[in-house]
Amino acid sequence: MNIASIKSQFPIFKQQTPLGKELVYLDTASSAQKPQSVIDAISGFYSGYYANTGRGSYWPAHKATTTFESVREKVARYINVQSKDQVVFTSGTTDSINKLVNAHVIHSLESGDQVLVSEMEHHANLVPWQEACKLKEANIKAIPINEEGEIDFEALELLLKAKTAFVSITAISNVLGTVNDVSRITALAHKAGAKVFVDAAQAIAHKTVDVKTWKADFLAFSAHKLYGPTGVGILYMADDLVNQIKPLSFGGGMITEVGIEESGYRKGPQRHEAGTQNIAGVIGLGAAIDFVDTLPEFELHNHLNELTSLAYELLSEIQGVNILGPEERAGVISFTVEGIHPHDLSTFFNEQGVCIRAGHHCAQPLMNKYKVPATARVSFGIYNSKEDVMTFIKVLKETKAFFE
Amino acid sequence: MNERIKGLYQEHILKKSKDETFKGVLQNETHRLEAYNPMCGDKYTISMSIENDVIQDARFDGFGCAISKASTALLTEIVIGKSVEEIKPIVENFLELVDEHGKREPEEIFEDDQLLAFAAAREFPERKTCASLSWDELKLLVDTH
Ligand SMILES: Cc1ncc(COP(=O)(O)O)c(C=O)c1O
Repeated sequence: MNIASIKSQFPIFKQQTPLGKELVYLDTASSAQKPQSVIDAISGFYSGYYANTGRGSYWPAHKATTTFESVREKVARYINVQSKDQVVFTSGTTDSINKLVNAHVIHSLESGDQVLVSEMEHHANLVPWQEACKLKEANIKAIPINEEGEIDFEALELLLKAKTAFVSITAISNVLGTVNDVSRITALAHKAGAKVFVDAAQAIAHKTVDVKTWKADFLAFSAHKLYGPTGVGILYMADDLVNQIKPLSFGGGMITEVGIEESGYRKGPQRHEAGTQNIAGVIGLGAAIDFVDTLPEFELHNHLNELTSLAYELLSEIQGVNILGPEERAGVISFTVEGIHPHDLSTFFNEQGVCIRAGHHCAQPLMNKYKVPATARVSFGIYNSKEDVMTFIKVLKETKAFFE
Repeated sequence: MNERIKGLYQEHILKKSKDETFKGVLQNETHRLEAYNPMCGDKYTISMSIENDVIQDARFDGFGCAISKASTALLTEIVIGKSVEEIKPIVENFLELVDEHGKREPEEIFEDDQLLAFAAAREFPERKTCASLSWDELKLLVDTH
């Protein structure tokens, strides 16, 4: 794969940082940069055929609606689900989880039920479940992870002996890079009678989300981690759940007939999409999927794996560096450096044009588990090169030397 | 390394960030500051004993970056033996010192080199909260005392 030509499609890299450096962006796990095609799709909608969707019977409205709806199909194919009607647009992963919990989970949870998350969950996939459990007097428990930062399956089987309503798990950890065996988790959970929610926020950019194989009951991701725009994402629901659960929100566009005291609700994903949608966002998501589709799957994996392995290897050789999580991982490396706080590190990196992340990465329980208040994190996107990794290692060594 | 960043991480700050002279918790604590930045996880407690409106003694504990640690250590050292009234202007001055929109030049605010070192935060607005974390809490205390 020609990385230079891919990188040239991302306009942000055409400029230098305010300090006159080349931009080395190593925070794709937080949010990915945008290719020109995504930016063009969004501005093309605003300047070329802007109108609200699902309402007007005039020309731009028709074009806006068909383009919007075509993205549902693209998503369905990209994550391998049966029908586009199982894909509901939301404003992102966090929004998907909150809406699902509020519309469905709190109505189906019974007092004493168990909800399982894992120790490596992002706050987005923990706090909403916590709130639901408090409200319904249900028990939230965390599936422990082992030394390597992988799910402890023995512990999971034991936990599933208690009556479990939901298991909510991330496909890839945004801190450790651990790739969870989602199929194995859903198989165990389903045997125990639990429904499974899969947080695909990280996995989505790796082209590995496969709902049919995973047999997830619910799944969510955000477009912005897939080189798409912010403020848009999806919630997938299996089987006919789209029509069975209560609407995620209420208002215009999702109704059939409305009276003062009673209303009827539509079938299909529109049942959950009240109000004017993030049309430009959805269209941008479509362009993002088109962009990723141009990257051969095998080469995408290879490229991200190569960068990750190289960074892992070079980092492990530096004295005083401690890497969290397993050696085999997807695109993310969290680490600490003896004697240097992650925030001080990231300020030094910023001076050299290198963007790394410092903090708890919205995973405080995991930080507690590893007994670190914060870590530094690098993560890779399709535009990163080996030179980026070498720059990162060079700046790390310089910074270490400065503090010593 | 460029000069700008050397300014932020100059000798005074690096040294202070490793200075544990006033680390700990007071047995006879009467007041406690909890300085916590949920965005980054930096967390300090400052244990104080205040009698007759004078801070008789103080200790700090916690963890965070070099900037927040140094500024907390310096805060602890500075408040010991001073009255709440004496501390008020120092807190105001410090918060102006680290603020990129601060009106006065740093040298007009403080003379002490250790304090002046933190003026470098003006160049790094994203690190201002590191410098001011504990001082913001101290301000709440002295304003309401
Ligand atoms: C694993 C995981 N889950 C959930 C989220 C939340 O995604 P968003 O902020 O787009 O809602 C993130 C984003 O950092 C993530 O990495």
